[in-house]
Amino acid sequence: MDVKVRNIRKEFKGQAALYDVSLDINSGELIALLGPSGSGKTTLLRLIAGLEFPNRGTIHFGGRDASFQSVQERHVGFVFQAYALFKHMTVFDNIAFGLTVRPRAERPSRAIIKNKVTELLELVQLSGLEKRYPGQLSGGQRQRVALARALAIDPTVLLLDEPFGALDAKVRKDLRRWLRELHDATHHTTVFVTHDQEEALELADRVVVMSNGKIEQVGTPLEVYDRPATPFVYGFLGSTNVLPVTVQNGQVFLDGFEIPLAVTKEPVSGPASIYIRAHDLEVTDNRQHAIPGVVKMVRHFSGQTRLEVRVPSSTHDISAEIPDDRHSGVRQLEVGHRVLLRPRQFGLFPREKQFEVDAQALNQGVHLSVVR
Amino acid sequence: MTDMPYQSHPARRLDATMERPGARRAVIAAALLFLGIFLFLPLVSVFFEALRQGVGHYVSSVLEPDALAAIRLTLTVAAIAVPLNMLFGIAASWAIAKFEFRGKSFLITLIDLPFSVSPVIAGLIYVLLFGAQGFLGPWLSAHGIEIVFALPGIVLATIFVTFPFVARELIPLMQEQGTDEEEAAISLGASGWQAFRRITLPNIRWGLLYGVLLCNARAMGEFGAVAVVSGKIRGITNTMPLHVEILYNEYNFAAAFAVASLLALLALLTLALKSFLEWRHGEHIAGAVRH
Repeated sequence: MDVKVRNIRKEFKGQAALYDVSLDINSGELIALLGPSGSGKTTLLRLIAGLEFPNRGTIHFGGRDASFQSVQERHVGFVFQAYALFKHMTVFDNIAFGLTVRPRAERPSRAIIKNKVTELLELVQLSGLEKRYPGQLSGGQRQRVALARALAIDPTVLLLDEPFGALDAKVRKDLRRWLRELHDATHHTTVFVTHDQEEALELADRVVVMSNGKIEQVGTPLEVYDRPATPFVYGFLGSTNVLPVTVQNGQVFLDGFEIPLAVTKEPVSGPASIYIRAHDLEVTDNRQHAIPGVVKMVRHFSGQTRLEVRVPSSTHDISAEIPDDRHSGVRQLEVGHRVLLRPRQFGLFPREKQFEVDAQALNQGVHLSVVR
Repeated sequence: MTDMPYQSHPARRLDATMERPGARRAVIAAALLFLGIFLFLPLVSVFFEALRQGVGHYVSSVLEPDALAAIRLTLTVAAIAVPLNMLFGIAASWAIAKFEFRGKSFLITLIDLPFSVSPVIAGLIYVLLFGAQGFLGPWLSAHGIEIVFALPGIVLATIFVTFPFVARELIPLMQEQGTDEEEAAISLGASGWQAFRRITLPNIRWGLLYGVLLCNARAMGEFGAVAVVSGKIRGITNTMPLHVEILYNEYNFAAAFAVASLLALLALLTLALKSFLEWRHGEHIAGAVRH
């Protein structure tokens, strides 16, 4: 079922957690809400579920206004971050719960419930474990029980809060692939929350990048990664160089010296920030549209060269990741060599008050991606 | 969830500290001696005194009409006060653990009030409120309602004194469990009542039983508050502890100890059940460490 979120605002104790958020989720789609903690992604998920209610705005489920419907009425399948399995019930009773709490008139017979649970256990590959208690299962198994329990009520929308957050890396990768296959087989409209860009980009049909209670960009993984719409998305996805520059008459100055980049897009003037992905840089012999620099550090590994380049007469370094097969010359580079770096693409955004704040978050993002 | 595979009791390492065996034995002996003199000896003497004049006298002291009336009254009071406190306790801890509201910390403080107020004062409050010269006294007597020096007063005083036991036990337990499972239940279509009955209640059952046990022990054994409101009318408003005191004041020691031995038995039973719960379901009892 499609879901339309319109101009949602949500406050907690007077503090806005979401500002004017709108989002269309198509039927059968697998959508990721991606953002750092505090970006409002989980709040948005809980609002869609009906576990929270908006201060303003509406939520429509397939044309029906669900803004004031309770979580029971919305009929969503919600998988909690820590799974929230019923500890005192067996796997079977956990999965059957949504069916057994229905009013007597709508409740399926025991035989039907048993069939349904058996079917779901097969679907989540847990056949034979129906008599176990949650305490006797591994993290990945608990996760799949939570999923089966949510699917048992034939939900209008499947909502998952950090579905792989509590699992170790190996299990996480397997479950991710498995969830994608499950989605392709069942076509449940699915929204999941994650702070892991790899997870979002690998799993989702479309990614909603969020920060500070706003949606920054919505698009396919390719779109958000290759054509970031805002400084935040630039910084959050991939490892990115941020250079504080000044733009005058289409010329870009870094610490007072011009760096010869072609500014063709919207006219930016005054203080600005340039965002360049480390892997969007190439080493060139052509001076045109290239940033000159001196190599400060070189690392060759796993088929690529990682460079730290000091831009002359400035205090700024640029990191570049260049595949060895793209430019055979990079293997010979050594510290102290002069190089020309040309960005295949870059983002130029006026530096306003608000972006100052974002830039701080960005630096953290860059730092994190370098560490990883 | 007692059958979870990863729960095991940590091995007791007696040699972790560096005391010499002699010092260790001396410390243990001192502790045992102290407990023996101040706890075990009195307990034994209760039963010893109770049976001093023979089993026949013991049985007749317990089956004497006034004693039977006291036992009946104590059981009646407990049968009213404990379930009510169970309900109030669940409601209060539910509100505190699962909702955010103004005045929450005040409510928590209020729940602890009976622990910090002397039971005699608790009794006096009810006399001042409902007694003949009390605030509501004239209105009550005009309508023929008896509270003080009657069963309702005793029940009220007992409820006041024993209120914190269930709530204090459940609040930390419910806070620790959070609202995830309840939210999961209602997201699966359960009503609030279904979520409570099928999720919350099973999750708190051992803690609840533990709280009820302690509440019951105190309800049956309460002396101070009940002494003030009961009026000590023999055979009518005398509970077991009051009856013991009266017999004792009449120098009827054997009978006093006979009735007291019943209370002591109750205490031993409570202790045994409490230990059993802590041993078997310790992880579901918030207060297991505290009490």
